[in-house]
Amino acid sequence: MKKNKTLIFLFIAPTVICLLLMYVYPVLRTAVMSFFQVEDLTADLSDWSFNGVDNYVKIFHNAGFVTSLKNFLAIWIVGGVITLSLAMLMAVILTSGIRFQGFFRAAIYLPNVVSAVALATMWVQYIFNYDYGLLNQFVTLLGFDKIRWLGTDAKLWAMIAAYIYGSIGYYMLIYISGIEGIPTDLYESATIDGAAKSTQFFRITLPLLKGIIKTTITFWTINAATFYLWSKLFSPVQTEGSTIVPVVYLYDTVFGGKGVVTRDAGAGAAVGVVLTLIIIAVYLVTERLLRSNDLEY
Amino acid sequence: MKRLMSMLLVLTMIFSLTVMSSTALAADGVEINFWSMWNEGEPQATVIAEAAEAFEQETGIHVNIEWKGRDINTLLTASLSSKDAIDIFEDDYNRIGQVYTEWTYDLTEMAEAAGYEGYDCFNNQAIAWAGYLNSITEQPQVGGVFYNKAAFETAGIEAEPTTWAEFLDVCAKLKEAGIAPIAQDGAYTNFSFYYHLVRYLGEDGIAELRDNGGWADNAQAVQAAQDIIDLVNAGYLADGAPDEYPASQTKVGLGEAAMVVCANYVTAEVNAAIGEEVDWGLFNYPAVEGGAEPAAAYAGANSLAVASYSEHPQEAFDFIMYLVTGEWDQKMADTAAQIPADPNNTAPASLDGTIETLKAADKPMTWCGSLNTHPAWDSMKTLFTELFEGKYEDGAAFCAAMDALY
Repeated sequence: MKKNKTLIFLFIAPTVICLLLMYVYPVLRTAVMSFFQVEDLTADLSDWSFNGVDNYVKIFHNAGFVTSLKNFLAIWIVGGVITLSLAMLMAVILTSGIRFQGFFRAAIYLPNVVSAVALATMWVQYIFNYDYGLLNQFVTLLGFDKIRWLGTDAKLWAMIAAYIYGSIGYYMLIYISGIEGIPTDLYESATIDGAAKSTQFFRITLPLLKGIIKTTITFWTINAATFYLWSKLFSPVQTEGSTIVPVVYLYDTVFGGKGVVTRDAGAGAAVGVVLTLIIIAVYLVTERLLRSNDLEY
Repeated sequence: MKRLMSMLLVLTMIFSLTVMSSTALAADGVEINFWSMWNEGEPQATVIAEAAEAFEQETGIHVNIEWKGRDINTLLTASLSSKDAIDIFEDDYNRIGQVYTEWTYDLTEMAEAAGYEGYDCFNNQAIAWAGYLNSITEQPQVGGVFYNKAAFETAGIEAEPTTWAEFLDVCAKLKEAGIAPIAQDGAYTNFSFYYHLVRYLGEDGIAELRDNGGWADNAQAVQAAQDIIDLVNAGYLADGAPDEYPASQTKVGLGEAAMVVCANYVTAEVNAAIGEEVDWGLFNYPAVEGGAEPAAAYAGANSLAVASYSEHPQEAFDFIMYLVTGEWDQKMADTAAQIPADPNNTAPASLDGTIETLKAADKPMTWCGSLNTHPAWDSMKTLFTELFEGKYEDGAAFCAAMDALY
């Protein structure tokens, strides 16, 4: 038995060591760094000087970070509600036995196969283009003036719309797998009892998908909190207030931006800690609100 | 089957041994490591790779190039501080002068011995930052108003404007000829307005506003904003401007717009976008009446530096000189359509006059350097774009919005 324990330890040791070195250590270092004034990300500990919660005070007094948080909230809440609702709707429709469901499933998932860079470029350079863009062609066809879809007022929403388009398929597949796991007997007996499709959805599908919904909300929160690539693609030359998100702010703070040489790794670490806390808080809240353990099937 | 497998294995072993022995032969000579900010396949990277090969043939020194791409700045501090095997590295000269200084070799003596000239504006600035010459200019950039000569010809404009009044006159003629006078992408609204502010206040004056606010109380700041509002109201911006990069600047190449305020790389970008060579002209941003800095011009550069701990600093410096002077610099300028690092070389036709502009400049104007360290810089950039979108009634309203950020 003792020998077995040694063997077990030897087998898990490489994974545990890697986890400690590559995950736990950087996380702890970042958390500690957020309470110090540090210019370089890789500066020696001797170059760190303790400054309490000053980094947190600094970022929450910074207009750029506050804007990035507002943008994050818009992506998380508005984008989340639309994406998850549409994904759920598509999933329900595609599991209801409609014709060509295989085709529709593939078509809706397709944007996830295309590189995000190509997808964002298509939206920025073609769909939202002022002169010949798809949307403005439609707008002028209806006899209205062209709209500046990527102007300062609309750019965040344009970016969110494009991101939603690229995300729905992914969440739809998760919901489909959840719905397909629900026994069909439940629907059959509900139909015999005269329950309408909408009643079946609200009384059977939705309650039995609580666990899946909780997972998708957590995934969406993580994706919104770590949102970076789309922001960069919608502001390719330099960071813009209309599309800045916390991770972009973090990046600029730690590495400097175009023409900016000042860096503050301590403040960047504070941003990282704040984002982590947001994700943990959302996870705990959804865990409490959407308990799925009380239902078995 | 077994015989075939064993033959394949023997062949693999022979091949591996051959490769290893040839690697060992290369390692017999001096080998220097070069971290480049370009990606393999880009015109600049192609020229650098060819130059390294030619350099090896001439000197026997092997240059091992690692293509790190534009985000090299995210790697350099960590790599230099841990003394990774780097002899030469390439980045924005701002960062080499202000961020990596403790890991840069003093090139002063070697540069003197080699008779290196370069451009005073970059050399002086590098020395001012680091205390010694710590970088050699590789790809200089200059800012100003780039224009399509054909558009000027169509509108009957013969002389480049030097003052704001003349500039407005040029805009009026262009508009009359059916050509949008100014292309403006949202990504560069901060640069354009900063240029205009510099004309009124100078970079030091802007730095004062950055530190203390009081934009609305500053008559010149209000006037600078008002000028832009007047420009917008007069219909001098291209349709859709400020547009999404690079939509508006491309219009200059297509002949739909005439001028764009940017750095010289705009010419290469537009040429590449439309697939043909535009006949470009360049003039310095027009002076305003009673302004503080009537002639300052933006100048920036990607430069090369030698790591302070390099075991082969002279060889590294020699390769840098090989790359930034004479034949290879000319090839770089022609291939990548950029200003030559060697002032004795010739700029591509699309960049006529840029060498002279850089040689004449003693102090380069920065890329929004007096403002970009402000905590609300990202919000300021939004206001600048809104200014070009015509969202403010007058200059005072814009300046009040700026003050609200403090």
